[in-house]
Amino acid sequence: MKKDIDTLKKRSRRRRGVVEQAGSASLALSGLVGMFFLVVLVWQIAIPTFIDGENGEISAASEYIPISDYVLEWDHPNVNEQGELKTEPIVLILAWEGQNGPQTHELEIVVTANRGDKEDIQISEEGLSTISVEVGKKTKFYLKSVLEVPVSVEQRSGPVPAADASGNPQVSSFVVSGDVAVLFSNGKAVFEPLEMAGWTSLLVLTFIVSRPNERRLAPFVRCYERERQIRSVTLLLAIFTAVIGQGTLSAFLGGMCWLLFGVALVRTTEGMKRLQNQGRTLTEVKRLKHSISDREGLLMWSRMLLVSACFFIPLDIDIPFLTERYQDIFQPYASGIRSAFLGTVWVMSIAMLFSMPLSIGAAIYLEEYASPTRTTKLIQALVTNLAGVPSIVFGMFGLAIFVKQGGVGLGLGPSILAAGLTMGVMAMPIIVLASQEALRSVPRSLRESAYGVGCTQWQVVKHHVLPSAMPGIMTGSILAMSRIMGEAAPLVVVGAAALVLFDPEPLAALTGGNLNFTVIPIQIYFWTSEPEHAWHSMAAAASIALILLLIAMNSIAIVLRQHFRKRLNS
Amino acid sequence: MENSLKIPLPKRGSADRVRWLLFLTSLSVIAITLGIIQTLLFEAITFFSEIASVRGWFSFEFNPMEVVSQTGLGAFMFMLALTMEWVSEHRRQYLNALPEPIFFPPPWVLRSIYGMLIISVVAVSSMLLWAGAAAVVVVWRRTAKKHTLRRTGDIDQADRSVTIALGFCLFFSLFIATTQHYSGAFGEFFFQTDWTPTGACADRRSLCENMSFGVNSLLLTTLQVAFGALFIAVPLGVGCAIYLSEYASPRLVAVVKPTLELLAGIPSVVYGFFAFIYIGPLVVELGEFAFAKGWIDQPPNILNPINGAIVVGVMILPLVASMSEDALRAVPNELREGSLALGATRIETTLRVMLQAALSGILASIILALSRAVGETMAVTLAVGTVAVYTSNMFLPAQTMTAYIAQRVGGDLPFGEIGYLTIFAVGLYLFMITLSLNLLGNKVLSAYREAY
Repeated sequence: MKKDIDTLKKRSRRRRGVVEQAGSASLALSGLVGMFFLVVLVWQIAIPTFIDGENGEISAASEYIPISDYVLEWDHPNVNEQGELKTEPIVLILAWEGQNGPQTHELEIVVTANRGDKEDIQISEEGLSTISVEVGKKTKFYLKSVLEVPVSVEQRSGPVPAADASGNPQVSSFVVSGDVAVLFSNGKAVFEPLEMAGWTSLLVLTFIVSRPNERRLAPFVRCYERERQIRSVTLLLAIFTAVIGQGTLSAFLGGMCWLLFGVALVRTTEGMKRLQNQGRTLTEVKRLKHSISDREGLLMWSRMLLVSACFFIPLDIDIPFLTERYQDIFQPYASGIRSAFLGTVWVMSIAMLFSMPLSIGAAIYLEEYASPTRTTKLIQALVTNLAGVPSIVFGMFGLAIFVKQGGVGLGLGPSILAAGLTMGVMAMPIIVLASQEALRSVPRSLRESAYGVGCTQWQVVKHHVLPSAMPGIMTGSILAMSRIMGEAAPLVVVGAAALVLFDPEPLAALTGGNLNFTVIPIQIYFWTSEPEHAWHSMAAAASIALILLLIAMNSIAIVLRQHFRKRLNS
Repeated sequence: MENSLKIPLPKRGSADRVRWLLFLTSLSVIAITLGIIQTLLFEAITFFSEIASVRGWFSFEFNPMEVVSQTGLGAFMFMLALTMEWVSEHRRQYLNALPEPIFFPPPWVLRSIYGMLIISVVAVSSMLLWAGAAAVVVVWRRTAKKHTLRRTGDIDQADRSVTIALGFCLFFSLFIATTQHYSGAFGEFFFQTDWTPTGACADRRSLCENMSFGVNSLLLTTLQVAFGALFIAVPLGVGCAIYLSEYASPRLVAVVKPTLELLAGIPSVVYGFFAFIYIGPLVVELGEFAFAKGWIDQPPNILNPINGAIVVGVMILPLVASMSEDALRAVPNELREGSLALGATRIETTLRVMLQAALSGILASIILALSRAVGETMAVTLAVGTVAVYTSNMFLPAQTMTAYIAQRVGGDLPFGEIGYLTIFAVGLYLFMITLSLNLLGNKVLSAYREAY
């Protein structure tokens, strides 16, 4: 028997072709699954926020009355003092299967301004006890059914229960709405003139420095030999801006704008002077660019500052959900996350202040100083394994060490300070690992040439290794920060509160103030645990706010990384 | 001449001070680790001694007849594996007498054995039986490999670690198979399955009769969620990694990689919300179908371990994908080119060369992802529920170890009461599991780093 070798080959080749195509197609499919999940996630979080927000919670008024009672109440009157209707009349349709066929009845409800008035509606085989009823605002009244069949209740028109004073449903179309006013609103200026001036001068200067030419630079010649004055004037302006703006965020950013403006101006004039001292003219723009010291870094910082300050100085962005509203126990759609937002900011600040010096120091020791002894290896192994410890275990550590009183406990109570320290401990191994990676990537030649000219070890580290490892360290720190910002588990253990109706005090544990605090992830957790669907919309809104904050922080890290990578390569 | 040679020496004192300062900062890492272990250990020991003061430390009933059971079969499997290992190490001449197909059966036999092993994870009710069967298969393949290598004279050294591990497993499974009715502090905690830490007595603060601390119900749910998550994350994540490193154009990589990073950066509580709102109802529909068919005996709940497994799987997917991609990228290009030059197609090269070469890196990523899944808290708390039950029905609410801790401390918890101590006992167990997984994963990872 002889096999037909050609047929065999052909068949096998076809089979291989099928395998090849099917295999790569399935791999491509699984490669895109990550994207798919992200889209579904964002979509599913966005839908409850936007769509439910628009329609309001009318579903409560379209359920069946089984046999017993059905409770209704309106928060605001829908008639004015003269008794005229301010809005559409509130009409409920009650329908049931009666003994003599299906029954449908209309019930008109008038909500008056005096609280406490009420009249319950009796539903029987004969129909309703009355077809029009007056009830006071915020007063519960009952629809009482003696039928043995369910009664369906549907609201045909008028504001749904829980409406605001104008009679509109108390739900804005976007739960996380933002009011943006560009420079003026209602004929009034929304900006502080001094901040605006700082921002505009920085904008103009950034434009000139990024695209210098002779004509634009001409006025700067007047600044020669006045560096000292420029510095002191901009410093004064910065302080003045901050004081006038009473230390708000926009005032702080305005002050920063002035400071950076001063630095940029001084560096530019110095560069111009240096160029002219070499006997060249300002027409040689390429050379000028080089003679401005660290022009790229200057531009990066000023662009970042300009973009972030743009939201607060020329545009007066107002997101009440994030910065103004506290929680509201009764009205989901009227709540906000102000206290949680401030809590997050404070917890993050304390965590970073605590963990960054410690962990960067540890990384420098491990990479630069330590010889591979047993202790060093132990520390290294501990760092690597600490990074994988579940976050809730860190929370228990915080509970026993920082929160609890007695024994080894510091007795700080469930406060922001204890939470910040716990989060700092959690961030430590991540920052140590990132910093070590960054220090390791500094080329050996840099260290050796520094030693070669007689630097001590600390001088090498301080002046050469650290500056070139700084981008990596900063990126790692920001990423660690964004990771612990989303962590809720340790803070649940430390004891974050579900409901905080005031601005948290960061040092309450030491000064003896009110300890309660909360953070955004905790807020999401508690809102998700609520049974009512309206709270889930709020949880979705808070999730979106949190994700946007995280994306903002990550993009800062990415900008920094790109900038320093470019500088290292050039 | 003398003057010009004078170089100012560095001030040793200041430099040393810096060095010591930096050393102290790195000691804080040791302090934190010791603090964690000390805290957990101290409170856990208090917990155990508190129970032991009433119920004793550890007791069990010995019943050799119980060996006729699934667990006993598992013990037998371990004994078989141990014997095979011993024969392959010390009585090689017997191996030479065996026919070749015993070592190298046709591929379809091998594949069906592997398939049966994977499927029987859900079918076999005794985990130890499954582990024993897996051990037999592993030792069999190991023996076959050693047998070939010895004939070519490549290997001639005994590896004791497998023997020791198998011996330990044999001892453990024999112990489980021949004993029953564990009680006392340790016996109850590690072997019983009833977790009712609040009990029904009036005084919640102290230990009372109807309290019961069998952590296995929490552990079972934790493992269900973690391994279920691996079922989702490993195929998708490794597939994604292969595609990104072998097939995708740089432009697609530039889109997908940041997306994965973003996916990894989304907070777990948001994932929990996602599971609660979106995945839960889908799983309930599935459960309704299964209930209508009669596959499960109770109607499904919106909170269940499947829900948790899916969402945790999505959470650890970016971790698996990015670590496996790193492993695949680290494989030297010569291997790929060599395989292509021999006429293998792209998919053959990928699956048979690249994947094999990067296997330990991928394995490390899976182990670390498993540890992350075991320790995941908020998503699981929101998705799985807060009822500690010991059941294999994955459509009912249950509670994982992390969720128990989060739920228990969520209320007001006075320091020193029994409920406060339980979270540390559970936490210590959790810490031990994740620590050993991390140690294993990092060891595999470093071994693989040395390879390339």
